[in-house]
Amino acid sequence: MTAETADVPAPQEPENTREPQLPKEARSPRALAWTRRRHSAARFWREYRTHRAGVFGLAALVLITLAAVFAPLLVGADAQSVTEAPGEAMQSPSGEFPLGTDQFGRDLLALLVWGARISLTVGLLAAFLSVAIGTVVGITAGHFRGWYATVIMRVTDWFLVMPTLVLAIALASVMDRSIWTIVLAIGVTTWPTTARLVRAQTLAVESRPYIERAQALGGGHGHIMARHVLPNVMPLVLAQTTLVISSAILTEATLAFLGLGDPTVVSWGGLLQDAREAGAVSAGDWWYLAPPGIAIAVVALAFTLCGRAVESVLNPRLGVSR
Amino acid sequence: MDTKDQHGRTRSSSAGQVTQVAPSARAARSRKRRPHLLLAAAAAAAFTLTAGLATPLNPAPQQAQAKDDGKKTLTVAVAQSVDSLSPFLAQRLLSTSIHRLTYEYLTNYDAKDNHAIPAFAEKWEPSADKLTWTYTIRSNSKWSDGKKATAEDAAWTFNKIMSKEGTATANSNFVTNFKKVTAPSPTKLVIELKKPQSTMAALDVPIVPKHVWEKVDDISKFNNDKDFPVVGNGPFVLDDFKVDQYVKLKANKNFWRGAPKFDEVVFKTYKDQDAAVAALKKGEVSFVAGQPALTPAQANGLKGESDIKVNNGPGRRFFAIATNPGARTQDGKKFGDGHPALLDKRVRQALFLSVDRKTIVDKVFQGNAVEGAGYIPPRFSEYSWKPSAEQELKYDPKRAAQLLDEAGYKKKGGKRVGKDGKALDFRILCHATDPNDKAVGKYLKEWWGDLGIGLKVNCLDDVSVPWYAGEYDLAFDGWSVNPDPDFVLGIHTCAALPEKAKESAATDNFICDKKFDELYEKQLAEYDPAKRAGIVKQMESWLYDSGYMNVIAYPNAVEAYRTDQIKSLTTMPSAAGNIYGQDGYWSWWSAVPASGKSSSDGGSSTGVIIGIAVAAVVLAGGGALIALRRRSTAEDRE
Repeated sequence: MTAETADVPAPQEPENTREPQLPKEARSPRALAWTRRRHSAARFWREYRTHRAGVFGLAALVLITLAAVFAPLLVGADAQSVTEAPGEAMQSPSGEFPLGTDQFGRDLLALLVWGARISLTVGLLAAFLSVAIGTVVGITAGHFRGWYATVIMRVTDWFLVMPTLVLAIALASVMDRSIWTIVLAIGVTTWPTTARLVRAQTLAVESRPYIERAQALGGGHGHIMARHVLPNVMPLVLAQTTLVISSAILTEATLAFLGLGDPTVVSWGGLLQDAREAGAVSAGDWWYLAPPGIAIAVVALAFTLCGRAVESVLNPRLGVSR
Repeated sequence: MDTKDQHGRTRSSSAGQVTQVAPSARAARSRKRRPHLLLAAAAAAAFTLTAGLATPLNPAPQQAQAKDDGKKTLTVAVAQSVDSLSPFLAQRLLSTSIHRLTYEYLTNYDAKDNHAIPAFAEKWEPSADKLTWTYTIRSNSKWSDGKKATAEDAAWTFNKIMSKEGTATANSNFVTNFKKVTAPSPTKLVIELKKPQSTMAALDVPIVPKHVWEKVDDISKFNNDKDFPVVGNGPFVLDDFKVDQYVKLKANKNFWRGAPKFDEVVFKTYKDQDAAVAALKKGEVSFVAGQPALTPAQANGLKGESDIKVNNGPGRRFFAIATNPGARTQDGKKFGDGHPALLDKRVRQALFLSVDRKTIVDKVFQGNAVEGAGYIPPRFSEYSWKPSAEQELKYDPKRAAQLLDEAGYKKKGGKRVGKDGKALDFRILCHATDPNDKAVGKYLKEWWGDLGIGLKVNCLDDVSVPWYAGEYDLAFDGWSVNPDPDFVLGIHTCAALPEKAKESAATDNFICDKKFDELYEKQLAEYDPAKRAGIVKQMESWLYDSGYMNVIAYPNAVEAYRTDQIKSLTTMPSAAGNIYGQDGYWSWWSAVPASGKSSSDGGSSTGVIIGIAVAAVVLAGGGALIALRRRSTAEDRE
């Protein structure tokens, strides 16, 4: 793919301002670029729409995000309060509590909605952290080559072969219990795949003649990496991000389930952990276990569907079969 | 000695495999860590595929129950790990319970009302000056290798502990006041004291066979777990042990009080309580120890099962919030970083005033506990104490707010702020594996939040590190109390403080107060039970007012057993009490096997667990597949 199509999803010049309604001949180059971007965004969306699974994923995500954002309005701000819990402990689903109650008598549907906030926030932040680290490592390793690349790629390999979960558990258990710890633990353990991908793409981009031209015209390392390589790896990074998010959400749930999360905030993994500790598994209280589990699966699936759709739109060579 | 191991700090250890060997600490506060982490991780992922629940595969290992040659085996599911099998070193409830079963103590406690009854000693009496105690040792007790158990063994055991060559880890509080222990004849043991000591009929020290133990090179490092069967003279003989798997005891047919009815008792380790409950439903184990207690959901679920009896008796434990009074060493050197505001009694009392104990008993324990008051649980009626109406710190947030105002912590924009302008924010140490800690933490956060006090619930697998270092403001604490309260009172005396900063020590919560110490000395020297109880109650009253130990509840012992494997057994107290972790060997010694063999009905929950495992594998496989494919696509890219 070329730089022209590539910079669509992530305009690398955020300082651009829209300058609309100018006569065609009077448009500045900047406005032209902006129009071009808008066109390719529209094209992107047209193509994205043809991926039915991707549209479903996106719709699910929008719904869940809306629910999470408007949680206080939807289910009330005090749904997490144990002292104000409206029901009895472990009530099975009924008209009043569609998903039953937990061991404190709190409405599980409300907790599920509130839990979406933590799960999404942690998933997104961790994925961004992970992808950011991976991108920086990948681009610098691809650009500088030599001993630097060798060293940093061996470090990457080391992280790659380390089981992520074990490393994350080790990190999460030595640090304070908070969502930031979880974000950090996931972020610093899952970046190597991104780094490897980005490095490969960087190598490919840098072998193109125009990079040589840019260098001949006096472009420094920073310029090459930021203005030429980054925009070209961006689509890849974007697709990678959406895919990493789903695994980050799963890891977050896993860590919370293992009791490594902040026990005072409600998250889906935390709900599962609470359920297990309360003995819901052996007591057969399915309504406590199933909804958070399904929610995690749905969100992870939605992100994966979106990610794959984005991936195949940006890289037509992947073909329709995917 | 059972006290030591358990709760509080040890409540922690209840679930587990503690890393720390606790050199001189009475109770390992340490922690459990679940070895199932990874497995559970997979399971976590698996929950996402709840469809897996329906998977009817059942490849579960079912061989757990010994089925050979009609041997009657009683299998107990326990969550705790063994710290040591040496009576000189062991402090955890599981280990000390095993010692109760495999060694005799000078005296035992009656199952009905906890009074001291003959065991290794047939009778005992003090001299007129109360400083010399003479025990008559029974002559009909034999070690399991055939040698006779004599006063010489007892004298050797006590002298070894008194020598303090790393041998007093478990039982030092009993012998610090001993001057001399001699055995003038095989049936006569004489203990001379420096000062009168009221615990002489409650010396919870396992007596070991001299002829075996004198061959041990270094008792401070010997864990007694190599040479099986281990020579003992209790109702059972320690027969086999595998770390974190099982401890096997076989019946001592020559036990002087009568042979136990079961041929074998096996303590099997289940780190996960829910797995233990599933094993009970399937008949793989006969008994699930209420340590930690079964959750209300588990207990309710089991009540519906046939052939399973849930025992819900008053517990030996208290569940409390300890406030850091400023950690210090014996010579007064301060260390740690406890919140200075907690040095103010009004703040400590305000914290307690804003805790609604009734709600915690109703909601968290769901009735399986008794509302907290004094330090000693009401089950020990002679020592238990209740505050009078005017002394009582009832749930009263208004008074709490008033006390905080008086102490100089005024409310500014929803937060209490001290004179130094700093907000009143506390940390509370919680045991990561104790669901009750976390649940109560949620309530505290809200109640104290209403008062304007911030709370950070700091849940750790191993709380012992910050605890010994004094780096906490508040902590969830709890101890199992013995019929004789000496031990649980002794851990709040100045003598229990650590010698060096951050060192492990007998102290529970760094409390050191002259008045309390005087009362402690007085009760220890008081031979009149009624007067002694009076002094103990004064001590409890002082503790209550101090706000250092805020007892929230006395949790019940909630445990369950299969009635098709165990026909009957004795609880302690026998009217209504606990089965696992008694102050005696009554439960397992008295247990009668049921005639019918266990009817193994494929428990649904095992199916659930297996379904989860299968789902986990499927999910992990699917994830790997997706990852692989994804990588391949990525590499195809330009």
